[in-house]
This record gives sequence, structure tokens and C-alpha cells, in this order.
Amino acid sequence: MIERKERKPYWRHTKWQMLASLLPFIAVMIVLPLYADQLNQNRFIGFPLGYFLAAHGFFVVAVVTVASYVNRQNAIDHWHGAHEDT
Amino acid sequence: MTFSPRSRLVNPRLGTYFSIFAALFVAAFLLDLILEQLKFGDGTLRIAMLLVPFALYAAIGLSTATQDVLGFFAAGRRVPSGYTGLILAMSATGATFLVAAAGAFFFAGFDALVLLIGGLSGFVVMAMVLAPFYRKFGAYTVPSYFGRRFESKILRIATAMIAAVPILLVLAAELRLGAEIGAQLSGIGVYAMVFILIAMITMCVAPGGKRSFTWTGVAQSIAMLLALMIAATAVAVLVTSLPVPQLTHGPLVRGLVRNEVAQGLQLIQVSPFAFELPHDGFQTITKPYTQPFGAIGPLGFASGVIMIACGIAAAPWLLPRVAAAPGVYEARKSLGWATVFFGFAILTVSSVAVFMRDFVLDSVMADRVGPLPQWLYTAAAQGFVQFDQALSRLTFSALQFERDSVLFALPIAADLPQAFVYLLMAGGIAASLIAAGATTVSLAAILGEDVVQGLSWEPASSENRVWISRVFVAIAACCGGIITLLAPTDPLRLVLWALSLTAASLFPIMVLSIWWKRLTSQGALLGMVSGFGVAAFAIFASEAELLVIPSVISGSFGMPIAAGVALAISALRPEANRHDLEVVRDIRVPGGQIIYDREMQRLQLQKHART
Repeated sequence: MIERKERKPYWRHTKWQMLASLLPFIAVMIVLPLYADQLNQNRFIGFPLGYFLAAHGFFVVAVVTVASYVNRQNAIDHWHGAHEDT
Repeated sequence: MTFSPRSRLVNPRLGTYFSIFAALFVAAFLLDLILEQLKFGDGTLRIAMLLVPFALYAAIGLSTATQDVLGFFAAGRRVPSGYTGLILAMSATGATFLVAAAGAFFFAGFDALVLLIGGLSGFVVMAMVLAPFYRKFGAYTVPSYFGRRFESKILRIATAMIAAVPILLVLAAELRLGAEIGAQLSGIGVYAMVFILIAMITMCVAPGGKRSFTWTGVAQSIAMLLALMIAATAVAVLVTSLPVPQLTHGPLVRGLVRNEVAQGLQLIQVSPFAFELPHDGFQTITKPYTQPFGAIGPLGFASGVIMIACGIAAAPWLLPRVAAAPGVYEARKSLGWATVFFGFAILTVSSVAVFMRDFVLDSVMADRVGPLPQWLYTAAAQGFVQFDQALSRLTFSALQFERDSVLFALPIAADLPQAFVYLLMAGGIAASLIAAGATTVSLAAILGEDVVQGLSWEPASSENRVWISRVFVAIAACCGGIITLLAPTDPLRLVLWALSLTAASLFPIMVLSIWWKRLTSQGALLGMVSGFGVAAFAIFASEAELLVIPSVISGSFGMPIAAGVALAISALRPEANRHDLEVVRDIRVPGGQIIYDREMQRLQLQKHART
């Protein structure tokens, strides 16, 4: 169980981790499709690059974002002693 | 020897059970394939592909019956992250994001990526902002969460009313699509099929509530993914010689870019706020596949992505799923799995659309010699395509496709046996069953827990509690069926409306209730109601053409309004409340007791002390 005086630093740490993971992701989510047209001039394994990045690329970005977030957040929990009791 | 909670809780034979199910499902398909080659009656094959999976789902549903409250409302909190993620992804997909989205990709091309990007972002947002905290709280329904978080019965009942609207919309959409596919597969009328689906859902959900829904849902998800993968992989092998449809359709896309404009498809300019995903019914291809923003404008695309993401993140029929995970870590991980499965399914759907576009391009090429390809006549005979059969030469404008049949036309276009069409239809029905089941089980729990017993915090005895919700499963399914029959509307539109209503009402309040300590119950209530009101009004105004913004995205106006009202009211009329503060502090820390259980124990102790 987490100690009382650890709660504030734990939550500050968690908040920054959330923002650090979420804000770049949201930026990619909004900006990437807007540039698809220019990127479509290039090609990658046969795909027009803009389409490939908006479909497959975004899928990879999402999976990597969640995976790295889960990893980091678990480490933060353990650092502050906020992890689940096993 | 010590056991960690996970190994103590999780059934070690789950993998075996679902391998058996997958083997049976594939065996049914292979048998269908063999019997078709042996010239068996077509009707028998169709009915077999409908009834064999139904029998399997019903068997799973009935064998997971439970009378235990924790089992009935949270599947015993022992669904491992992979399975939770699979159900989350597939109930968000449903038949609309499978069958209707195949059509949307087919007609709108690049612009249909709004569904993929929005859905993936929804799961990412849910993983970071909502899911672990909701799991720590451990409430069975979203209204119960709000009620206990703010200790407010009015808020609980108001949330139940608001959450019921989008849930019913999704239920109606899925039943409609499922019934249409079922009618195509079996030849039974659409109305009768709606009743069959309602009976099926009741059988899968009523015996054990969330527990039966979880395990029938996993089976249905597996059936749906298998159907999609088998058909798409078979076509990919035929067309590209590689069994990875998601990655190998690149050269085909390239071919579409080169040839479609030459064959008469013009680049389309739309207003920045346009949001015109293809409607249901027959229509022609008008837009080159890879052209961005020819059906949805850039601003419409961005707001559509945000709307779908926020709607999926706070969806009252998806979020309670994470409460069934064994712990907070598993809940976080399950969202990772959900992202993987959702992206995989939709990427496969987009590859299906590209294969179809390629077949269509082949048949309209100006330098093609010989008669029209045979598959067009076969597909026209089954009602998937319309064209003037007297013509010997076709253009894009002469070919009309049905949006919700594009997926099923794929095996016909690739000259595969009919059994592949039946397999895809069985997958489509499975998809509609899982989304309809997810909405039914959530709606039944909301009606039974938060509306009927909403005025008292002490729940009825566990026996009654389960039976009340069990009765509401049947009622909820019938309500969805009635809406389907009385107000037939485009299912994709219905789901997008539901997501925008959720994004406007529940999402901002849900986020604030975790991330902002000083949110008060009044602020939450007024914020939620005003957001919902504005969104609903904007949708009606846009449908009545009073508003130029398309109805599907106009609902997202409610989101900033809901957040603003909640912030303003809470800041102007602060309520210092020790209980609320204690609960928020506790939600934020993964370790420790589940808050909902602790509160229920506290109520029991108080009751004991009184008597």
C-alpha cells in the first residue's frame, strides 16, 4: 500500500507520464492525415506513402504508444510503492 | 507454495476451450465447402452455416450460467487481458465497423480511415485516461460509478437515462445489420430474423449476465476474425500470391492510383466540414480510392476522429468490460490488446475494399477485350450489384454496389466457392451478435441496477439482484428490436450518432471526475445534461437542415460545452466533501482494495448496526 506522503509525487509523476504519452499521439492523430496528399507522391512497398502511414503507420504508432505507456506506468507504480499487492 | 492472484483466478483451460470452438467453426466451414463441391442442396448449406455457430454460442451461453452477483455483473473479475481486449475491440467493431465499414472503404477509400484512426485513438485514450481508474473503482456500470463517486442518487439516475440512449442506438443498428445479413444468408425475412437474433442474444446473455456474455463474446469474436481472415487470405493468395492481405495490397493500391482517374473518376472537392460517408443501399463509385478528403473535408476528418475517439473511450457499453479484468495492470494491458485486434480487423477490412476495387477496375478498363466478367452476373443475381445486363462495356457510373454487401461480393469476384460467402455472412452475424450482446448486457445492468434499484444504495438480496437484471436482458433486447423494426435507419449513421452523444455527455465528465479533484456532483450533473442536450439538439437541427454542419459531427459541439459547464459550476459552487476527496485519491492509486466492494461492505455494516 502506498504511503501517505508518496501520494502527491506519485500523482505528479503519473500526470506527466500521461501527458508525455498522449500529447504526441494526439498531434500525430490530427496532423498525419492532413499531409497524406503530399506524401502520396512517394511509395513504400507498393503503397502510396500517405495512405500507408495513415493506415498501417498509425496502427503501429497506437500499439507502440499503449505498450510504452503501460510499461512506464507500471514502473512508476513500483517506484512509488503504489503497485497492486500480489 | 504461493499463488499470485492471477494464476489463482484465471481458468487455465480457456485456450483449450476456445481452440475447440475455433476448430469446430472451421470444420463447419470446410464441411460446407466439401458438400458444395459434392453438389449438395444450396438451402441446406446456408442453414447449416447459420445454425451450427448459433448452436455453439447457445451451448457456451447456457453452460456459463451463474447466480453469483460478482459473476453475473463482472464475470468474476477473472477475464485475462488478452480476452478482455479481444471483446473490447470486437464489440467496438461490431457488424457496422466490419460490414458497413467494408462498404465505406470501398466507396470513400482514404476518407473511411476516419473509422480506423478514431477507433484506435479511442482505445489509446481509454488506456491512459479512463480504464485503469475505472477498474480500480470496480463499479459494474457507468451510472453506479458516478453515483458512488459523488454519493448522488440523482446523478446516478440521470446518467442511467443519458447512457441508455446511445446504447439503444447501437443495439438497434447492430440488430438491423445482423438481421439483414441473416436474411441474406438464410432466406428468412428480415423481421423474423430480428426475433431470432433477439432470442439468440437472450440465450447468450441472460443465463450468466456478463459471465456468459464474456465467453460467448470471445467465441463470436473468434468466429468473426476467422471468417474475415480466411476469406481475405484466400483472395490475397489468389491475387498477390502472398497470404498477408493487410500488407500485400500495396501494388493494387498503386494500380488504382494510376488507372482510376484515367477510367473516368474525377477528383472531388468538398467543403472542409463535409462528412459524407456512403449511405446504405445501392450507389456508384465516384471517388478515386487514395484521394484524401473527397468525401470528408479536412476539418470534418479531424473532428470526426476526435468524436469517434472520445465516444469509444467513454462508451458505456465498452468501458465496464475492463471491470472484469483481474487487476489494474491487466486492465491496462487489455487496452493494448484491444488496439492490436481492432487495428488488425479494420486493416483487413480495408484490404478487402482494395481487392474489390481492383476487381471492379478490371471490369471497367476501356482496353478490356471479351465479354463482361462472369462474377458480375453472379453477384447481380444475389443482389449485391446492379447494372444493365444488356451492356457489353461498363463504366464506373454504370455499376451500382450495395454498401453492406461489398464484403460478401469479394469471394464471388475472386471466383471462390459460395461457401466463402456463407462463411463471411456467418462472421458478419457473429459481429452483430457480439456488439448487440455488449449493449444488451450493459443496458440490462443499467436498467436493473441503477434505474429500478436506483433509489436505495443497498442492493436487493443477491438472488433478486441477479433475477432483476436477467429479466431486463430480455426487455432490453426487445426494446432494441422494436426500434429496429419501427425506425429503420442507416446502421453506420446510428452508431456514429451514438458515439457523438457519448463523446458529448459522458466523456468529459468521466475524465474530469478522475483527473480533477474539485468536480462537484452538481457540476457533473449539469455538465452531462447540457452536453447531451446540445449534442442531441445539434443532431436534430442538422437533420432538419437548420444547421449546415453534418449531423454526424455536429454532436461534438456538446463536448466543450459539457466540460465548460462542469468546470464553471464546480468552481463557482465548491463543495468540500471528505468522502469524495478520499474516493478520488483512492481511484488514482492502483494498489489497495477495490473501492466499489469497500463501499458495499460499508453499507452492509451500517445496515447491521441499525438492525
